[in-house]
Amino acid sequence: MTVKQTLFSTTLDNGIVLLGEELPGLESVAVAFHSPAGAIHDGRGRCGLATLSGEMMLRGAGSRSSRQIVEDLEGAGVQWAQAVSMSHASFSGAMVARQLSDALPIYADILRRPLLAEDELENARQMVLQNLAGTEDDPAHRAILSLREIHYPSPWGMPSEGLSADVEGLSVGDVRDFITAHVRPRGAIIAIAGRIDWSDFVPRIEQLFGDWTTGAAEAVATGPRGPRVKHVPHDSQQTHIALAWSAPPYHSDDSYEATAALAVLGGGSSSRMFSEVRERRGLCYSVSAGYQTHRDFAMAVCYSGTTAARAQETLDVMLAEIHRLPGTIQEAELERVKARAKSALVMQQESSAARAGAIARQWYHLGTVRTLAEELDRYDRLSVRSIEEWLEKHPIHDLSVVSLGREALEVRDAVSA
Amino acid sequence: MRFLRERLDNGLEIIAEVTDGALSTSIGFFVRTGARDESDDLWGASHFLEHMVFKGTNDLSAEEINRRFDWMGASANAFTSEEDTVYHAAVLPSQQHEAVDLLARMMRPALREEDFATEKLVILEEIRMYDDQPPFGADDRCRATFFGRHPLARSVLGTVESIQSLPVEAMREYHARRYSPGNIVLAATGAVDFPALVESAKRLCGNWEPRDVPDRRVPMTALVTAHLEQIVRPTATLSYAVRMSPGPAGDDDDRFAAKLLSVVIGDDSGSRLYWAMVDSGAAEHASCHHHDFLDAGLMITQLSCDAADVDPLLSRILEVYREAATQGIGRREFSQARNKLAGRVVLEGERPRRRLFHVGLEWAHGGIYRSVADNLRIVEDLTVDDLQRVLARWPLDGPGVTVLAGPSGAEASSQATAPA
Repeated sequence: MTVKQTLFSTTLDNGIVLLGEELPGLESVAVAFHSPAGAIHDGRGRCGLATLSGEMMLRGAGSRSSRQIVEDLEGAGVQWAQAVSMSHASFSGAMVARQLSDALPIYADILRRPLLAEDELENARQMVLQNLAGTEDDPAHRAILSLREIHYPSPWGMPSEGLSADVEGLSVGDVRDFITAHVRPRGAIIAIAGRIDWSDFVPRIEQLFGDWTTGAAEAVATGPRGPRVKHVPHDSQQTHIALAWSAPPYHSDDSYEATAALAVLGGGSSSRMFSEVRERRGLCYSVSAGYQTHRDFAMAVCYSGTTAARAQETLDVMLAEIHRLPGTIQEAELERVKARAKSALVMQQESSAARAGAIARQWYHLGTVRTLAEELDRYDRLSVRSIEEWLEKHPIHDLSVVSLGREALEVRDAVSA
Repeated sequence: MRFLRERLDNGLEIIAEVTDGALSTSIGFFVRTGARDESDDLWGASHFLEHMVFKGTNDLSAEEINRRFDWMGASANAFTSEEDTVYHAAVLPSQQHEAVDLLARMMRPALREEDFATEKLVILEEIRMYDDQPPFGADDRCRATFFGRHPLARSVLGTVESIQSLPVEAMREYHARRYSPGNIVLAATGAVDFPALVESAKRLCGNWEPRDVPDRRVPMTALVTAHLEQIVRPTATLSYAVRMSPGPAGDDDDRFAAKLLSVVIGDDSGSRLYWAMVDSGAAEHASCHHHDFLDAGLMITQLSCDAADVDPLLSRILEVYREAATQGIGRREFSQARNKLAGRVVLEGERPRRRLFHVGLEWAHGGIYRSVADNLRIVEDLTVDDLQRVLARWPLDGPGVTVLAGPSGAEASSQATAPA
């Protein structure tokens, strides 16, 4: 099917990249502001600084109090969100298109004129600490956090949510310094999708952000990575297993081969892991393989959670499926992977928020936005041969393995008969 | 958007909300069966059956079903609740026929003994998975106590014991009884070719034997009295509280006002509970929302915080509820909440796969169709008086059941659950 696609992009003099996509038939518009103030810049002993700073930015900005920011956004019917990843602090909102003109100045205040008042710090800190405490009760999430920690080189494996001990020691001065240094126009992306009027949007953003000139980019030194295998003791009925190995980052052209290989392994209900681990053996409720990427590093991730007594068998079968992959991919498997990926791409066009997120992500990773036609074409060009050649050149090795549960597991390469 | 409907001779209803120009088609079989339709011997059977439906028919293996869904690029899944079992797939419009064909065939599963034994292990894993997660069973326990002998007391997953002792014959009998065509709605949203949908349904479902299905409504007769229970999880970091008090049922027009009221009082952000304890970081989470069933409704309060703070924060929540009842709802917070809810209605309305659940469930429950515009009108017509009336009819600070789960027997006093 053909989907009409209208993409826009421009860069302001101060470096802010504006991206837009018009989605016909929608009443809504979604806008997202990404500033390069991610947790990668936390610094040693200050893990959680970006997250605390992101929280503080919402607690009063311009002439608005903390409460007014929320009331003004919600009063305009904006479904808003704030998130801090390793690379960005992001503030986003989805709304009926006519509300956009009310919403934009609020975001301009948040990004450019946060009050960062001392008397808001303790509340913000407590909120961050509460979220961290909540994470402690989510064993699957903890397993993935541990996996990132051991797999990525420092500081890319640190948790963007922070570490309680570090968050306890942060001061309002730390927050102010961090925001001054990292919340800045160069490296910032503003993406909008849905029912948009680009010729109206650009001058509005110019007016709100055009004279913004703070901060300068700062390189991040990459350090060593952790041990390959880690067990996290946790008194739970289930043991959570998370595996990773290196994959090409999204900007690399062969990331399509890598993600297709992963989808064959554990991407859908007909994938190998789902078939073998859950359907045939009934070992678990959830098992999957997927792909996570930073700009310069990426990893293949496999996850399963299962009763402690069956965890060793689950890990063994997962490893066996991983090792069996090269040289065995079937044409029919690839066709299913392509169908799922292409269908998901087209359906994404139905959501303004999903598209605003996707075009910003592409710009960050690629420095451009791929059209839907280009993406579909790239999937069409995938072949069993191209994937197998890629696997041959990039054999799966050097796995990072995390188990979280009552007992540590033995990492064997082969499965018992 | 156009709404279309048809009914086969055997009672199967087919409905569609057709959106010209939509990029996808969502298809769902909505079976009016769930945990409330089970007996002690069948506890967990609805949800287990939902899994078994994916294990194949006499002509199709589980692998073939999974392969076909992936081959058509479907985003397919199913869920079971107290009242419904829903099988759904979102596909590109060119795959409508394939998706309907597969889902329809699946509605007549083989229920093979060996598949049943394997899938039983998966269900047991799912039970353990949820048991390891917040709120550590507090929600199920709270509903069980709240509803007492009413059918809605039963949890969807069942227990390890009830699943282990369930024989395949009992599931076969349950399927024959509950998956009668008159008890199923085939719903579609998005870019739907309705004549083709009806044609597919006639061919694939026309020969399903109809059976009488008794009415499921059982009015709540027992009065809720204040009650407190505790679940101890030594390894939990935070404590979790779930409180349930009565609210408007699914056939009560005040349910819309109750939903808006819960946005004012207890939405995840910008609500009274948010400003009272989440903004300051006193609680990790504090919310209130409304949930309706066919014949009952609940106002559900959820709190997570440090164990030592459970009692004072639960008391504070009741204070917030009392203040709302005595001092009323302000104009500004009312219009903020109404705009927020209206925004949600529009955004959800844009995605056929989200609309499918609204359209399908509303029809399955009450034979009612409401367009996105109808829903917006309902939200926009609500007034402060409507919310005050809900507060008076279903006092949020009135008798309720509270269940706590956390690292220790938290120092909660019974006064946290009783009206002052």
